[in-house]
Amino acid sequence: MANLNGRARRKNTYDAIVVGSGITGGIAAKELTQKGLKVLVLERGRMVRHLEDYPTAVMDPWQTKYPQGQLPQAELAAHYPVQRRTNYTMTEYTQHFFVRDDENPYTEESRFDWIRGYHVGGRSLTWGRQSYRHSPIDFEANAKEGIGVDWPIRYEDLAPWYEHVERFIGVSGQAEGLPHFPDGHYQPPMEMNCVEKAFKSRSEAKFPERRISIGRTAHLTDPTEEQLALGRTKCQFRNQCIRGCPFGGYYSSNSGGLIAAERTGNLVIRPNSIVTELIYDDKAGKASGVRILDAVTRKDEEFYADVVFLCASAFNSTWIMMNSTSSRFPNGFGNGSDQLGRNVMDHHLGVGASGEAPEFAEMYFSGRRPNGIYVPRFRNLGDAATKRSDYLRGFGYQGGASRATWDRDLGARAQGAKGFGAARKAALSQPGPWTMGLGGFGEILPYEDNRVTLNRDKTDAFGLPTLTFNVTMRENEIAMRRDMQTAAAEMLEAAGFKNVKGHDGGYAPGLGIHEMGTARMGRDPKTSVLNAHNQVHECKNVYVTDGAAMTSASCVNPSLTYMALTARAADHAVKARKRGDL
Amino acid sequence: MLNRRDAIRGLALAVGVGSTGWAERALAAAAPVPALAWTPTALTQDQARLLDVVAELIIPTTDTPGAREAGVPQFIDRAVGNYYEKSQVDQLLGGLARIDADARAAHGDSFVALAPEKQVALLTVYDQEAGVARGQGQSHFFPALEDMVTVGYFTSEIGATQALKYDPVPGAYHGCVPLAEIGRAWALR
Repeated sequence: MANLNGRARRKNTYDAIVVGSGITGGIAAKELTQKGLKVLVLERGRMVRHLEDYPTAVMDPWQTKYPQGQLPQAELAAHYPVQRRTNYTMTEYTQHFFVRDDENPYTEESRFDWIRGYHVGGRSLTWGRQSYRHSPIDFEANAKEGIGVDWPIRYEDLAPWYEHVERFIGVSGQAEGLPHFPDGHYQPPMEMNCVEKAFKSRSEAKFPERRISIGRTAHLTDPTEEQLALGRTKCQFRNQCIRGCPFGGYYSSNSGGLIAAERTGNLVIRPNSIVTELIYDDKAGKASGVRILDAVTRKDEEFYADVVFLCASAFNSTWIMMNSTSSRFPNGFGNGSDQLGRNVMDHHLGVGASGEAPEFAEMYFSGRRPNGIYVPRFRNLGDAATKRSDYLRGFGYQGGASRATWDRDLGARAQGAKGFGAARKAALSQPGPWTMGLGGFGEILPYEDNRVTLNRDKTDAFGLPTLTFNVTMRENEIAMRRDMQTAAAEMLEAAGFKNVKGHDGGYAPGLGIHEMGTARMGRDPKTSVLNAHNQVHECKNVYVTDGAAMTSASCVNPSLTYMALTARAADHAVKARKRGDL
Repeated sequence: MLNRRDAIRGLALAVGVGSTGWAERALAAAAPVPALAWTPTALTQDQARLLDVVAELIIPTTDTPGAREAGVPQFIDRAVGNYYEKSQVDQLLGGLARIDADARAAHGDSFVALAPEKQVALLTVYDQEAGVARGQGQSHFFPALEDMVTVGYFTSEIGATQALKYDPVPGAYHGCVPLAEIGRAWALR
């Protein structure tokens, strides 16, 4: 499509363009509009409005079309062969918040589980909501160990922006005072149940360095005036978050950032707008805007701005850059380093242990806590006592205790004859055994040859190029997994649990749904794509602030860090634009 | 086939329900064949009537309503039409056919016409068979049928709100509450 001129061009011109409306796009939109910029948010998928577009949010179990809201195998196989791999994301309750794989193909040279949602709000509607800060040692580790490249920032650079984001989104949690697990600004913590409390006191008696805390989660337990004014209210402990929350009890872009942005009067959201390219202006030496494919009309259109934020999720921001070739950037936008698409990271999981607690048979709980317990990393903290000789970095545990319910003798779970009739009915109407589980989330190191590449030969439903994945686990991760299993079982044994069993259910890259690293930040344009402010080294008015920016993965859930990086970058962009530096 | 029928007869006797006494015959004759209050869409009328009786035996009316009142047979009929895999449907229909054939072989009458004691005795045979099959890693229609009934029941409005405790909007979380104060398992997790 020809460049627009004159009035038409002015009509499509904004101060800033934000590509993507998920967990980082929402924060970028909020920060930029509140600082006075006219912002266009481009979202490739359909509109999802808070409250109005959560069709299953208050569905009762007896209202589903299929048993337990599970989709028929044929439908899963035909449309969701990847999205089903988590075993929890793809149900009748959640189907509309995940992509159809048959319409969004990619190539797996090695298995890669790319779990995605294309709609306004993206995965901020379906995320796990665990919200932790990276620690000082996370930012220093690459440099100290000679892994990948050094982060161009340190914890102190991001700390005020963590606080800024925590205050806005609302995080419930417990301060622990551990240097390697920095505390943030928290609303009151959720309660542990009886079994978790016993686990904490007994395991900590034996392993004091393995602190057991309640999960830090983006739920409101004591909302602020600002949060109430946005229409959000306290978490109601329904634990049906993944369907969209009618109370705004957890943070999503839809209930938070986008509403705050909309209220400034400075926001335009354009759904069904697939950004296909950044437009590079050779004369000006910067990006002039983006080109989109309208998913409905199938027409190209251009939008212009002084500054562009890529917040499309790690692989989609990377895809846009790879697809944006020009004489200045023949190998992809800002890719002079050849690092674009490399260093794919995630958190490896699916390994841990569980045990039973029969002594608490007379105790139960009320409410459905949408959160578990958390054991912050306790390996390789920089001292001799925690040093491991078999691997670098570490892992945290997430888990919790609960009682089995009516479905405990279904399928393979039953042994011997199940019985039937009044006695079985009465038994299943009572809670079953208490089980406590711990599952590790382990850091994956950046490896240059763990990468995604652009495949122009295989196209999607829109005729656009697709991605090819080649990402594998290495020795460090495999050695860590052994320890993840052993240490979990040790803690449960120490706490007196019965029938303690370690497990490693296997892990395929991507399954953590924490993809990151493919346009990493760094100090040197020769070895990284982004600088210390998330600007593309080679084109300063383009910022990339989603998971692509990550230089290392840490072992904590990453969304809070993405949001903090985004808010910090937005502040930088507004100031730089004012100075005329962009 | 004959061997299996003999075996069923023997097992039925073994679990304490005779099949030859006049009293039992009289009881069987007196047992009303319940009319179906709904129209099946995937199952035949006979299959649905049999399922209706078996489901109620698996989850009977006690201090709370049973599978029939909870609409479990309709739930399974719907899932036969739109959800279960072919192998599951085949196993279900094969199981229903076997139940009726075994009833006729052992007692000379359809399962639904038998006295409840005889019905229970037959299902007890399947339950025990299934326990053995499970130990050998084999599939058996009866626990698969039980699973269908169990899911249908505890996700029904009656099952979730009467047999279990249902609280769509708890409003708070309390981590340590005596079970006696709650009384039943929560329907949702």
